[in-house]
Amino acid sequence: MAKSNTFTYEYLKGLWDQNPVMKQVLGMCPTLAVTVSVVNGIGMALATTFVLVFSSLIISLIRKIIPNQVRIASYIVIIATFVTIADYVLRASYPDLSKALGPFIPLIVVNCIILGRAEAFASKNSPFRSLLDALGMGTGFFIALVVLSGIREILASKTILGIQILPDSFAPILVMILPAGAFITLGLLFGIANFYSISLEQRKREKIIKKYVDNNQEKVKE
Amino acid sequence: MTLILIFLSAAIINNFVLSYFLGICPFIGVSNKISSAFSMGIAVTFVMTITAIVSWLVNNYLLIPYHLDFLQTVSFILVIASLVQFVEMVIKKVSQPLYRALGIYLPLITTNCAIMGLALFIAMKNYDFLESIFYGLGAGIGFTIAIVLMAGIREELDLADVPKAMRGVPITLITAGLLALAFMGFAGMITI
Amino acid sequence: MKNVIQMIVVLTVIAVISGIALSEIASWANPKIAINRAKETEKAIFRVQPKAKSYKQIKNIDFELYQVFDQNNNPIGYAFPYEGNGFQGKIRLIVGLNDSLNVISRVEILEQVETPGLGTKITEEPFLKQFENLVTFPQIEWIKGSKPTKSNQIQTITAATISSKSVVEILNNGINKLRELKQKGVI
Repeated sequence: MAKSNTFTYEYLKGLWDQNPVMKQVLGMCPTLAVTVSVVNGIGMALATTFVLVFSSLIISLIRKIIPNQVRIASYIVIIATFVTIADYVLRASYPDLSKALGPFIPLIVVNCIILGRAEAFASKNSPFRSLLDALGMGTGFFIALVVLSGIREILASKTILGIQILPDSFAPILVMILPAGAFITLGLLFGIANFYSISLEQRKREKIIKKYVDNNQEKVKE
Repeated sequence: MTLILIFLSAAIINNFVLSYFLGICPFIGVSNKISSAFSMGIAVTFVMTITAIVSWLVNNYLLIPYHLDFLQTVSFILVIASLVQFVEMVIKKVSQPLYRALGIYLPLITTNCAIMGLALFIAMKNYDFLESIFYGLGAGIGFTIAIVLMAGIREELDLADVPKAMRGVPITLITAGLLALAFMGFAGMITI
Repeated sequence: MKNVIQMIVVLTVIAVISGIALSEIASWANPKIAINRAKETEKAIFRVQPKAKSYKQIKNIDFELYQVFDQNNNPIGYAFPYEGNGFQGKIRLIVGLNDSLNVISRVEILEQVETPGLGTKITEEPFLKQFENLVTFPQIEWIKGSKPTKSNQIQTITAATISSKSVVEILNNGINKLRELKQKGVI
């Protein structure tokens, strides 16, 4: 099945069709925890994408020499190595961001998206396909985090990326910055996404029915 | 006394699921029935307590004395993965009914960020040995409380008329949000 | 058998490569992390002691303490981070004091996990401004709901009384500790 996909689709599917957060419901912990501000969301998404891309690439390169019984253990070591690298680079070069994300950087190691892609995709596909897949999933994760953190930041502190957007007269909705706000916002986003998918499907179905009816009518006329 | 406070703080006030967002995947995935939620909770509590012990030992007797702190993430995740495997084997040998009840949940625990989070928090907070055990136990019980409460609510929700687009994950997340709000009432009761 | 050997070899090779890579990264990053931390402390010291031009850490005591100097290298006071319990968790702050430990130059909150929007107001200017030139003798006091009447008094934040009181308490504890050291002649 994977072979039939074009390279473009290999990348694009992560954005919406198989978006890791919205469609596969993976990587919930960082999605909820770090999205108090857009900066944090972007930082987290970039760090995760870095780990995802490099571990997918390496795993795909050595997929044929890893014995089946120890594959999960090998994946975990490879992923943990890249997570530690990301952690050290952030701590050395971006201390403020690293402080804001705190323990959620080392926790990337248990982000189900990464192990999920390693097991479901990188272990079965060529390095180039795995790279595209990882980039797509990373972008999809990025989009989800930016949307969620954007909503939370603008409602809780009237700003986006620290720049004030809403007027002073707007009373900030403090609950957005609390854990409860994260759960509720994400729940509503999921609801909207589902609603969109359902209506899209319905339209498709109606089109088919219409076509069928039209065809039949023509036949009747004949 | 501090031990009890650490336990309560981890279990209720700073609940792993509802205020640190750790262990959301099983929290959403395995919370549709009370019985399975309870089994999952017990399995997590069990692994968490053992993880607290082993990761404390690894951190204080291997990583810190030999200045290997750059291996912290790698070694913790390996400890957790092998522990889960080991626990699974032991349970299988010792008690078949228990294995049948918990078996399918154990592999899921490896990628449960609550366990990894626990190991990292213990290292960060400089807890001593006993404190770590109570912290692990408390966090596990807290997870169990959250997931069982959630399952209880979801069993009722099945009978409710939820809009089609909101069924499943969306309504679960919103319920979790309300639970988190309720748990905020405990905030500030104990500070450590 | 061949399989088992392959398993062991592959895992070992992966682990060894990962170990080497990480130790390289750590030896590159650790000095930078140390510099970052020192820079952060330095920035905080100069923020709470605006008149200071240089500083020196006082050794041989059981907590972090910095003596600060003006441009002529005369000691003008102290700066030190101190922490204690707030409403929800630890509050860590840094305070600047004059040489005789009875007037605060400024206070800054370094870390806190108070309730967003309520307790977090302790990090904002209206609250912190009250501590500038505040007299610390005999103790810092707080008053609820009305303007301070004494020179050693601050007003607590509405709806964040516990967080405000915690800051005062942490300050009093830290300053008392410093006074003891001064009496003993350690500093």
